[in-house]
Amino acid sequence: MKKIFLSAVSVFAGMIMMTSAARADCGEITIGEMNWASGTILTSVAKFLLENGYGCKVKKIPTSTVPSVASVAETGKPDVLIELWVNSTPKYLELEKAGKVKTVSNVFADGGQEGWWVPQYLADKHPELATIEGVLANAKVVGARFHNCPVGWGCRVANDNLKVAFDLKGNGIEVFDHGSGETLATSIATAYTDKKAWFGYYWGPTAVLGKYPMQKVSLGKVDGTIHSCNQKQDCATPGKSDFPSAPVLNTVTVDLVNREPEAVEFLSRFTVPNGVLSSVLAWHEENSASPDEAATYFLKNHKDVWSKWLSEDAKKKLSGIL
Amino acid sequence: MGYKEIFDSLGLRQWCGDVATKKEILSLDQLLAKAKGEQVPDRAWWDIPFPSLDNLHEACNTIPRTRDMVKGIENGFLYIKDYLKIVLDPLTQPLSWILDGSLYVLVNTPWWILIPLFLLLVQYISKSIKLSLFVLTVFVFLAFIDHYSFAIQTLSVIFVCTMLSVIFGIPIGILMSKSDRVQASAIPILDMLQTLPTFVYLIPLIFLFSVTESKLYGIAIILYAIVPVIRLTDLGIRLVDKDVLEAANAFGMKPSQKLVRVEIPLALPNIMAGINQTIMMALAMVVIASLVSAPGLGVLVLRGIRNLELGVGLVSGFCIVLIAVLLDRVSKAALKQINTSSQ
Repeated sequence: MKKIFLSAVSVFAGMIMMTSAARADCGEITIGEMNWASGTILTSVAKFLLENGYGCKVKKIPTSTVPSVASVAETGKPDVLIELWVNSTPKYLELEKAGKVKTVSNVFADGGQEGWWVPQYLADKHPELATIEGVLANAKVVGARFHNCPVGWGCRVANDNLKVAFDLKGNGIEVFDHGSGETLATSIATAYTDKKAWFGYYWGPTAVLGKYPMQKVSLGKVDGTIHSCNQKQDCATPGKSDFPSAPVLNTVTVDLVNREPEAVEFLSRFTVPNGVLSSVLAWHEENSASPDEAATYFLKNHKDVWSKWLSEDAKKKLSGIL
Repeated sequence: MGYKEIFDSLGLRQWCGDVATKKEILSLDQLLAKAKGEQVPDRAWWDIPFPSLDNLHEACNTIPRTRDMVKGIENGFLYIKDYLKIVLDPLTQPLSWILDGSLYVLVNTPWWILIPLFLLLVQYISKSIKLSLFVLTVFVFLAFIDHYSFAIQTLSVIFVCTMLSVIFGIPIGILMSKSDRVQASAIPILDMLQTLPTFVYLIPLIFLFSVTESKLYGIAIILYAIVPVIRLTDLGIRLVDKDVLEAANAFGMKPSQKLVRVEIPLALPNIMAGINQTIMMALAMVVIASLVSAPGLGVLVLRGIRNLELGVGLVSGFCIVLIAVLLDRVSKAALKQINTSSQ
């Protein structure tokens, strides 16, 4: 009896050791899933590859920009943030300086594109709207209104300085401050359904810009010093400068760097060309697909992109799909 | 055994179209299974999924998926939108004018006129020096920490929305109290107004009206805040003593006389309690209304939340609480005045 019991114990212990050996290469990782289309799709892709290529156990935590950074600051979780728009959370830079988080890669190869836009149909009819000078001279054509960012967004500060620099008011363009990103996006959708005038701030690659083609209004040259002044609330001399391409990052906690170096290495190569992402977003919209299905579409059709992210070992494990 | 066979046996294959021609949309799990070369095992009959649109579409192309149905509803809304707009836009336009006008007047009146005016008003309706002093303290505090103009904007929005809620709510409440059928059909709507997440109806509203119109947040606040005054007017009138009504009948009063001279005065305490609740609910919507560009303290709260400026959020939140206490006290004092005068 005792013998049977002992052997049962040893078998059981062996089983535990075996499972822990299987897990030894990668443990549990939490990823903050941003609550917009590209955020959810890219998170699904990362989860799939980490689970099936690296044997990690990945948990998605639905969140958005500011709450996720606050959570990382206070609790050190989630381990990974994918597609973090740093411009809208200046707090992140403090965290990085304090050594709590580490930027591992730019999720968009060409960076995010911020700026002032007009709908494509309007730009086609009035080609002069491609520059800010043309817009200012044709205030009536763009609806005499500038759709500004909601209060508390990083872009709001920059826009509030730029509107002074370009003297929107003096040129007959009234500035409307939106209350939330939802109404800003809806205003574009409404303008599009009626083919009406629209002029305002937006950013891409996003589902909105994927669905509604827009023409970026050139604000002139990008000047680093002027732009960094424009990003300050109390900028004494707001100047004219276009938006430089915005950093959109994949970040990990320093804790994860020590815990899962392989997964971090994978994330440091996790970069998608803007064109590829736009096409995935367009497909997602066209087929009213779920983020999960859009992630599958990406994995199936853009193997050349994601195969470069993988280690040799992971490539072998995913050879069935490759 | 699956739905495919059922459609086949019903002879509907022609109508359904060839399943093989359909565009392939895979989920991650299916991709993985395919990569491993796993065949989908034959399902046992007890594993048959619920005949939902998605599952039926799998077997028959002609049946729309749930996402197609949702898309259809969206297109339907976009189609009738233009007609709705013709009716609703002019009808609600005065709301924008009232909101903008009141905001303009209150913001541009100097503080040394506005604060005494408020105090006189409070003194007149409450007849309580203590309360007036409290109101004075609140205003001085708000002005001292430079939140005065934000607070005035918030108050302006609340005044307009409460006023309109009362103007529309009391007649609706009276109608409900007079007819059981109206009551039965109105109550589910009132329940819905109180539970439906605001953005669910706000986003369609943006398609109807321009997002830049102030009536958008006016509608959001009124739809939420109007409910208590309707409910309590209905309740108050239904609770009027039957003997008193009989006496009124004995005097030969017409229904309209009965309503104005007997029922409404007797129901007034309840109606006032409803108005008090309506004011509170209007205030509760301040932050949500700021998401659709309402001015006031809500904007500060949003800034605090979005920038993680905890101080800004806490201070402006505290100011909202102060205003809530102020409005609550003043409307309760008015209620008390009515109760003592009606006794």
